[in-house]
Formats: sequence, C-alpha cells, structure tokens
Amino acid sequence: MEEKKMTYADKKALRERMKRLKPGKLERRYARMGYVFMIPWFIGAAVFLAYPLCMSFWYALNNIRITPLGQKFTFLGYGNFTQILIQDPDFVVELVNYLTSTVLSVPIIVVFALIIAMMLNMNIKGKGFFRLIFFLPVIIVSGPILGMLNSEGAGSISAVDVQAISGAIGSVLPSIIAEPISDLFGNMITTLWYSGVQILIFLSGLQKIDRSMYEAAKIDGGSGWECFWKITLPNLRSMILLNTIYTVVFISNNSENPIIVLIKESMFSGTKEKGYGYASAMAWLYSLVVLLLVGAFALILAGRKDQYEKQVKRAVKLRKKEAREKKRIERRNRRNAARIERKREKGQITSHTTSRSDY
Amino acid sequence: MKTKKLISMALAGMMTAGILAGCQGSSGGGTPSSGGGADTLSQGGSAANVTNDYDLVTIEGSTHQYKKYKDMTSENITLTYFHFDQDETVKLLADKFMQIYPNITVNVQYENVANYNTTLGTLISNGQAPDVIMHSDCDYALSNQLLADISSYWNSDEETKNLADTVNSAGLGTYHLEGGMRYSVPVKFFPGVIFVDRNVLETLNLTVPTQNWTWAEMIQLIKDSTVLDSPDGMAYYGLGYYNRLDSYYGIAARQDIIGEFGFTGKTFDLTEWAVGEQEFSNLKLGGYIAPSTETQAMEDWSGDWEGWAGNTSHCALFSEAFWTFQNTWNTPSYKESFNLDIVPYVIPAVSEADAGAGHHSIATIDYGGITTSCEHPREAYELLKFMSFGVDGWYGRCEIYSDESIVNALGTALKYDVMPAPITKDEGVWDEYIKVYCAGMDDEHVQLWRDYFASCMQPISFGWTNIAGYWNFCDEYFNAIGIHDLVDNGTAQAADYVEEANRKANYYHAQAMLDYFGKGGYDVLSESETAEYEQMIADNQ
Repeated sequence: MEEKKMTYADKKALRERMKRLKPGKLERRYARMGYVFMIPWFIGAAVFLAYPLCMSFWYALNNIRITPLGQKFTFLGYGNFTQILIQDPDFVVELVNYLTSTVLSVPIIVVFALIIAMMLNMNIKGKGFFRLIFFLPVIIVSGPILGMLNSEGAGSISAVDVQAISGAIGSVLPSIIAEPISDLFGNMITTLWYSGVQILIFLSGLQKIDRSMYEAAKIDGGSGWECFWKITLPNLRSMILLNTIYTVVFISNNSENPIIVLIKESMFSGTKEKGYGYASAMAWLYSLVVLLLVGAFALILAGRKDQYEKQVKRAVKLRKKEAREKKRIERRNRRNAARIERKREKGQITSHTTSRSDY
Repeated sequence: MKTKKLISMALAGMMTAGILAGCQGSSGGGTPSSGGGADTLSQGGSAANVTNDYDLVTIEGSTHQYKKYKDMTSENITLTYFHFDQDETVKLLADKFMQIYPNITVNVQYENVANYNTTLGTLISNGQAPDVIMHSDCDYALSNQLLADISSYWNSDEETKNLADTVNSAGLGTYHLEGGMRYSVPVKFFPGVIFVDRNVLETLNLTVPTQNWTWAEMIQLIKDSTVLDSPDGMAYYGLGYYNRLDSYYGIAARQDIIGEFGFTGKTFDLTEWAVGEQEFSNLKLGGYIAPSTETQAMEDWSGDWEGWAGNTSHCALFSEAFWTFQNTWNTPSYKESFNLDIVPYVIPAVSEADAGAGHHSIATIDYGGITTSCEHPREAYELLKFMSFGVDGWYGRCEIYSDESIVNALGTALKYDVMPAPITKDEGVWDEYIKVYCAGMDDEHVQLWRDYFASCMQPISFGWTNIAGYWNFCDEYFNAIGIHDLVDNGTAQAADYVEEANRKANYYHAQAMLDYFGKGGYDVLSESETAEYEQMIADNQ
C-alpha cells in the first residue's frame, strides 16, 4: 500500500492534537519529581542570588545609613556611580591595577598548574603525597591566614631581588604597568599557591586522554614535544578555558584583592557619601569589569581551533558539499528523465530525434 | 520504587530546609524601620536623670566599696557592651559590675579596631545592635546615628563634674552643639607626652629640661641633642617620632583651640598648624629626626632594618604614644636589656605664660556611648560610666592592673597591655593608679610621673574622634593631596595650603553638622545653627 505523504495542514493538525493529549501517569510523576528536585535550586537561586542582586542594585541607587533604629535610604539615582567614576581616585586606580595584574598573573598560574599537573601525572613514586602537597595551599590560603603569611613576607621568593627587578621594570615601563608587574614578583609564591584547584582540573583532563593516541604517535615517530603540542594541548583546550575562567573569578573575589578591600571599607566608612549604597555601586561596576575580562579570556581561548580540528572540519565541510552536489545532480537527472518521458508519451520525440538539448 | 521515591522526596525536603535554615535570624535586618520601641532613648532628649542616691556594697575579692545606685532597675536584664578596649580587662570589669548589680547580665563583645566598624555595622544591620559601644571615628557613629543623647544623665551625674577640665569646657563628646547635647563620653584616655631619655642627655652633657618647658626649648633640645658625627661611631638624634609634631603644635599654640587644625568649636583656622607642620618638616630635612623603622636609613644607622629608635640609646626625645612606656620601656625584659632612663614630659605650650600654667595638650581619647536602640538607657549609662570615667570603674581597673598574675592571651600582665589613664580627677583613684603605674620605681621617678600626670589633665582629642566632618575633610582633601608628604619632602610650604584648607575644613564640617544633626539626622539643630552652617557651606563651596 502506498504511504500517503503528509501535507502542511495535516502536520499542523497533528501538532494541535499532540498538544491536547495529556501525558501519562508515569510521565506526570517523572515531571513532578523533576520539579521537586529543582525546588531547592530555585529557592537557593531566588534567595541567595536573585534577591541579593536586586537589592544590591537598589542599594546602588541610594545613599544608605544603617542606624540601630533601621536603615535610612536617600534615593540618588546614578549619583553613586558618577561619584565613584569621577570623584573617587582610588577605585579607578585600583581597577587599572587589578586589570593589569590579572592579565599578567592568570597565564602564569594556568601554565604553572599545567606543568605541575603533567609532572604529577607521570609515573613517579609518592604521586599521591605530591598531589596532596600541591593541593594544600588551597586550604591554607583561604581566609585571613593568607594575609598573615603575606605580612610575614612568605608570599615572595626571598632569593629574588624584588627591589632590583622593580627598579629595572620601573625605569622601562610607565608606573601604571610597572607596579602590577613588580607586585607579581613580590607575591610570586602567593600567585603560584593559587594554582591548587587548577592542577586537579588539569590532572583529571590529562587522565582522560586516550593513551592509544600517544602510542600511535610514538609508532609514527612523534617526539614527546610533538605529542604535547599535537595531543595533550588540543585535548586540554576546554580545561584551559575552564581554568582560566576559574582563575579570573578566584583572583577577582579573593579577600586579598584591593578592590574587594576598598568595597568593604566603603561599606562601613564614616564618609557621608559612602556606605552600603556606595559600596553596592562599586560592586556593580567591578562585576561588570570582571564579566568583561572573563568574556575577553573566553573569546581568546574558545575562539582558537587547533590545526587538526580545522582540517577535520574542512574535510567534513567538503564531504557535505560533495554530497549536496551529488544530490543536486541526481535531482536534475531525475527531472530531465521525467521531462523526456512526458515528451515521449506525447509523441513529441522519438528515439532518433533525441538530441543533447533534451537532457 | 516506593523507597526510592521516599528517599528522593526526603532528600529534596532536606535540601530545601537546609537552604531556608540559612535565612534564619535575618529578620529585622535590611528593612527600613521608622522608630524604636517605647522604652528606647529618644534621639532628641534623654529619658531620665541620675539621682545620685546609692548604697555602698562590697564585692568578692575587693577592698573598695562600690556604689550601687538605687534608681537602677531590679528586673533581670542583659546589656551588650561592644568594644575595642583590652578584652580581658573589660571582661573582669564586667564581672565586677555584675557583682554590684546581680540582676544585670553584661554580654561583652570584642572586636579589634581594624574590623570594628565592619563588625558593628553588620551587627546593627542584622538587628543585633549592642546597648553600649565604643567608637573611634565619630563620623561613622554620627552619620549612622548610633549614639543616643545622654545629656540628662551626664548633667545630673555628680561624677561628671570632677573630670579633666576640657571634657566639659572643650566639649569632648558633645560635638559642639549649641543645645549642649552630649552623645559620647571619653572611654580610654592616653595623655599626650614627650618622653626624654635622660641617659642620652647626660652622655651629651645637656641639661635636663624642667616640667614647665616651652615649645622653643623643646625644639632647641632636639637640635642640641642631634650629633651626627658622634665619637662612638653611631649618630645621636634629637627626636624619634611616632606622632607628628604639627598635631602637637596646633593645640599647644593657643588655649582657645579645642580641636585639631585650629578648631575653635565652629570653624577651623590652620594657621597654627602650618607653623608646626613647617617646623617639623624643617627638623626632618635638617636631619634632627631619627630614621623610621624598616627603612634603609634605619639599617645604615642601627644596622637593623627593623630597628627602633627607642632602644638605640642614641635618641634623646620621643613623640611616642603614652602606652609605649608601659607596653615597652617599663617591661622587665626591656629594663634588663637596654640602658635607658625614660621620663615623661607634658607636651610644652608655645607661650611662656601658658607653659607656666596648666595648658591644653593633645591626647588620644577613644569615646563610647549608648546606642539609639538601647532599651535600658539608665543601666546602660551606668555600665558605660563603669567602663570609662567612673570612679568605681577605675578602682576596679586598678585592682585588675595591680595583680600581675592576671595576663592576656600572650601571657603579658594587663598593666603592660595598653593601659589607659583615668580621666577623673578623683584623688583616691589617682593615688591607686600611680601606685600601680609606678610600681618598682624610685621616689624621684614617681615624683616625675606625678608631676607629669598633674600637668596633662587638659586634654584635647585628635580630630577624627571628636569633630564632625573631620574624616571627610582628611579623606577627600588633606590626605588626597598628600600635604604631609609634600611639605615633609620640601616640595611645598605648609602656609600655602592654609587658605584653601580653611575653606575646605569649614565646608566639610558644616556639611557634616547639617547631615548628622539637621533634619535628615538627629534633628537637634536650632534655626540659627542651621542658618549658620548653611552660610558656611555657601561661603566655602
């Protein structure tokens, strides 16, 4: 029996019928359970994300005084934002410092984490112990302990003459760039301590790479260096992006971050323009900058395709193009054949009158 | 299947409950409120007076008889005392207070100065405002209307008449309102002092100054005791500084000045400050000031990057804080290790007439008050008094300080941990205090300390603790320009800033007075005051 082809009207009617159809009992139960499991997240997001975000934006538009008898709001509109950008010299200076130091330190942290992860992934004795050692700073550097360690000078490498480096950099570069670079050298240990989580992420990425790829490369005469660039790095691309974003967010939210300190100070400042509203406006401006920075890093890293993938994509594209061409030729042949057939049925052509133009 | 479903439901329920649990305790915080409870102290005027009617009670472990006021509540109440004082001392004082008033429970909460405003602000925004607080910068306390008006208690309390003269005459804690309102009381008093190392003067054959020395004599002594090419190979310096001399000079210059930067109660005049600033800069540039710690100059001088002029035996005078003596120079380990003979001198007055008589000198004073939400203001006032200027509180403190077996977390006796001085003039308290303070000293040194204490009882606070708008002025003008650095390194003259700084200081002060005490704040300014401050703003805009 010949199958009847569905028209557009049939399809529309079917869709309408499907919409009217009620889901089965089992399906309803699954759906309900799904919602139940989502409730905690929704509540959490509403209470701890949406509400604070909305409130902080409302705060940013007001001058707020916290008195023992309640909070006093004075609506300022965009007053806090203009005050911060035009009259507060500290914020803009700290923001520039933050941008420069983050752009400098993120690659260092990510590359360091990758190197350590590769070393920890090797077959060495006491691998677990070394992994623990490298993860330990994640626990140590949290909270005020980091501040205490830094104040004792534990954040810098004592063998490195930071003053000499700072002097040399300062004589070549403008202070706005030289300062963050000098700070980076001064806090090298701290910077490297920030790489504990990234090492773990890279380790998990490294362990997921198919070993047979390395074996195949070795058989083909690939060196370790080539294997790193052709196999390891392309396979870790998504991890690099993840770690970069994680590092930017970590540095941006760190309690040692001068802008976080500035925001905190503004919250409880006696200066009349400051307070919760001013600090909220600062926080909004800062989060916009962080967002832009994360976006920039994501664009740089996510946009990069490796050569192998490019070739594969090109081949797939070519194959698709060929398939499309083939289909087009087939369709044209079918059309021509049908036309000849129709003419033949009408007796317009006989076999001896067939010419090339009929095709 | 059923078990799975039940477990899933229970898990989801637990997660929801967990999230909701995090929200508990935040009620009351973050929502605007129009006023306090019926029993709270009104912002415009106090609720009651102090009757000064009391019984004398003896408490355990004390020979002193404490006053138990009859107008205090007999109900069981709890008061929260939030402070940045020495915590062990305050807890022991709170114990004594609770022994006098067994129905009152005192909940002591400590926070260090660095995080003090942050924690206090968080407590208040969470609806957990303490009853009694200390505060360091008055701008934070006033702009957030933390402090209640305690004028009626203060004015009716007999003990407030017997305090260091300037507490009332210069309005320390009143913020200089025409209505005479009082919002704060001095809690910790550290008199201003110039320490002199007599051993250095003896080595250099210089005469030890008299207690009524003048400013010019002090400057001359600093210059005379600076010997850069000393025979022992280590230079002698005239002054090791912690506090800047311009702050000292600004108060010592004129007796009508009752605050930093030439503040006279309503306006500023930085002329005197500029003289002191320039003089200090000239001393620095002239090489009379000892190198600061953690500088190359310090390493070159003492051979130690982290060295301190105070233990080199090569520095004659010090503008160190009051507590440096007990915290450092008077500790047993220091006395054993260094050959020093440090004695105190009052910060000298500029004119001879003032130097001969009693005169104002700058002092570090931390203030405290009762919060506007406090439900038991009378009892809170008594607690505040006990912890600060009260005679009984000071007898209690002296008992605590004299027992060197009572130590802080580091194992140091409390006497050596930032011990303040009494601001009351009660002779009994001072006798006890000097006994504690001068324990182990010979008669000559005891007398020197007695003379010093007698001459430092006209204190004037540093500006940020007692002048509205002072912090805004420093934050947005004085420190933003970096005037100290510019004058210190010789790139600018202090006098060049006087005119502009006067305008700015007056503007910020007037603005703050209107903000804090005007319609949008406490609303206690009279019409004439409001007009005057508005005019000041217009004139100095």
